[in-house]
Amino acid sequence: MEYGEIESLRERQAAWRLLRAGNVSLVLSFLGEFFVEANRGATPASEVVAALDDHLYVVNAAVSDREADPRFPKSPRAYLDDWAATDAGYLRRFYPAGDEEVHYEVTAALEKAYSWVTTLRGRSFVGTESRLHTVVELLRQIVHGTDDDPRARLVELRRRRDEIDAQILAVEAGEVPVLDATGVRDRYQQFAATARDLLADFREVEENFRLLDRAAREKIAGWDGSKGELLADLVGSRSDIAGSDQGRSFQAFYDFLLSDSRQEELSVLLGKVAGLDEIDADVRLRTIHHDWSEAAERAQRTVRQISEQLRRFLDDQVWLENRRVLELVRAVETAALAVRPAPPDFGMHVDQPGIDIVLPFERPLYDPPAAAEVRSTMPELGDEDLAADLLFAQSFVDAARLAANIRAVVPERATALLSDIIAMYPVEQGAAEIVGYLALTDADLSVEMDESEETLVEYADPNDPAIRRRARLPKVTVSRR
Amino acid sequence: MNDEHALGAAIIRLMQGVVYREHDESTWQTLQRSGAGVRDHFATIGVELVIDEIEGYAYLKSRPEIEGEDTLPRLVRRRALTYNVSLLLVLLRKRLLEFETSGTEGRLVLSREEIVELLRTFQPDSSNEARTVDQADRTIAKTVELGFLGAVRGARDQWEVRRILKAYVDAQTLADFAGKLREYAGEVADE
Repeated sequence: MEYGEIESLRERQAAWRLLRAGNVSLVLSFLGEFFVEANRGATPASEVVAALDDHLYVVNAAVSDREADPRFPKSPRAYLDDWAATDAGYLRRFYPAGDEEVHYEVTAALEKAYSWVTTLRGRSFVGTESRLHTVVELLRQIVHGTDDDPRARLVELRRRRDEIDAQILAVEAGEVPVLDATGVRDRYQQFAATARDLLADFREVEENFRLLDRAAREKIAGWDGSKGELLADLVGSRSDIAGSDQGRSFQAFYDFLLSDSRQEELSVLLGKVAGLDEIDADVRLRTIHHDWSEAAERAQRTVRQISEQLRRFLDDQVWLENRRVLELVRAVETAALAVRPAPPDFGMHVDQPGIDIVLPFERPLYDPPAAAEVRSTMPELGDEDLAADLLFAQSFVDAARLAANIRAVVPERATALLSDIIAMYPVEQGAAEIVGYLALTDADLSVEMDESEETLVEYADPNDPAIRRRARLPKVTVSRR
Repeated sequence: MNDEHALGAAIIRLMQGVVYREHDESTWQTLQRSGAGVRDHFATIGVELVIDEIEGYAYLKSRPEIEGEDTLPRLVRRRALTYNVSLLLVLLRKRLLEFETSGTEGRLVLSREEIVELLRTFQPDSSNEARTVDQADRTIAKTVELGFLGAVRGARDQWEVRRILKAYVDAQTLADFAGKLREYAGEVADE
């Protein structure tokens, strides 16, 4: 690789940028565990937020010096927004069709960074033998798979038969070669690595499909020639999704994986491998074929959706309409800029969705408002005894007087006990007056109660000054601002 | 619910507005099962039922006039929109097209700021930022009322651009508006 290319990857490739980021440990630990290890696809924001909230709590508790000063102070949602921003690109944020909630999904870039970081963790031993076998087997497949000479094919097939015959003879003679423990571990390690890689690759497969789709759409949108030429170009340039290398390899994998016999064979094999004593089997690999199917299904769904939309996009009418619409939108924009200082008072005419039906008799009929009768002449009253006492017995506590009492005793920006004020200005109207103090709402006064302490207030009964009464209330302080 | 009842319900839903597959699964299924019956029902009063399988919506529109045939009185009302609402619809129509062109799946959701930003270029210069935003809020509210923007559950100030916009703000409508606007722009320039 050249200097310039590496430099540009360092700047632009999201995976590399992530590795250089300051909070890379947080990003990888959370997204790696939540999405990659658990093999999650698109997940509703609320679930991701809840998980990240827990994760932040644990991480902050572990790495922050003081609780008041956490290492990662932002809200989970803010972190997710950061990570999904275009200049980060660790998460894909989108609103799926048919769902009201925003969804998140990790990108291939994150998957790459995560898998690279996991490889940094040293392995106790690195098996090489099994990989040699795999490499040789691949070479054989390439060489014999491309040979169309029937005689050469037969030679190879016979050679394989002889090999198998020899093995059969050996077993019949009681000679059963068994893999030694190292051989088993070596192979299992390679299996585990490949199985996980495969899973990680699906994300990239999906992303490649999206790129292909985007390239096709951009081409469609900017196309000037005839539609026939466009179609020829699309198919010819292999940007046609199903026909691309990516599409065909994926389809072949998908068909292979989905056959019942294959699934069953995988189940049995995985079960047996997990039961071997020689290896410390990874529980997650026990059902890896289900994870493959799920991930493949997801990718397949994406492809289906994309190609359906692309077909529609290419549909004759839509294609013509889109170009016309774009042209008209530009015309409107140009004119709108020209009239900006003096916007017109007209707009578009648009059909109103739906048909209004207003049935006249559904509405309430006219109902004359009931006339209220007002008689201003008072009926003459006789000389009956009216209970006029009631009117005079109403007691009125003048809040202004109480406030004035406080202002007279308490200087500005000072505080006093209510009991002290009452000592200076004895209560004249009994309990009502005490309540009056508590209810003062003047802007410059504030009354506070402290339930932890008690005050006793003594006052003369307003009806009979000879009787002393006591009120028990919380400690009340009055302050002036 | 028996079939007749379901059919009636579907007809009423359509008269109330656009029917979306994702919002009203049961009406959608009725339309799939007995769309022909609903279609016939509306055909007698000069209204056409449009079901878009791919976009997932169904709506009613006036049957185009056929030459030589007596036309029925118009049942689907046309509405004159204000200039601001019209402008927003045009800009949203463009955003929707760009969204499709970029190949992003799912739904187009815009925040209030994004919508204000869309409109800002076309607002008369004003030092009164608050006024511009207030006006944008009113325009958004109107567009929501018309059903071309929809609130997103659980997210304040986020609006989904409904795809039905494409059916209502079509090339014909845009062409009329562009023509009128161009004419007006000429007049303004002459003054």
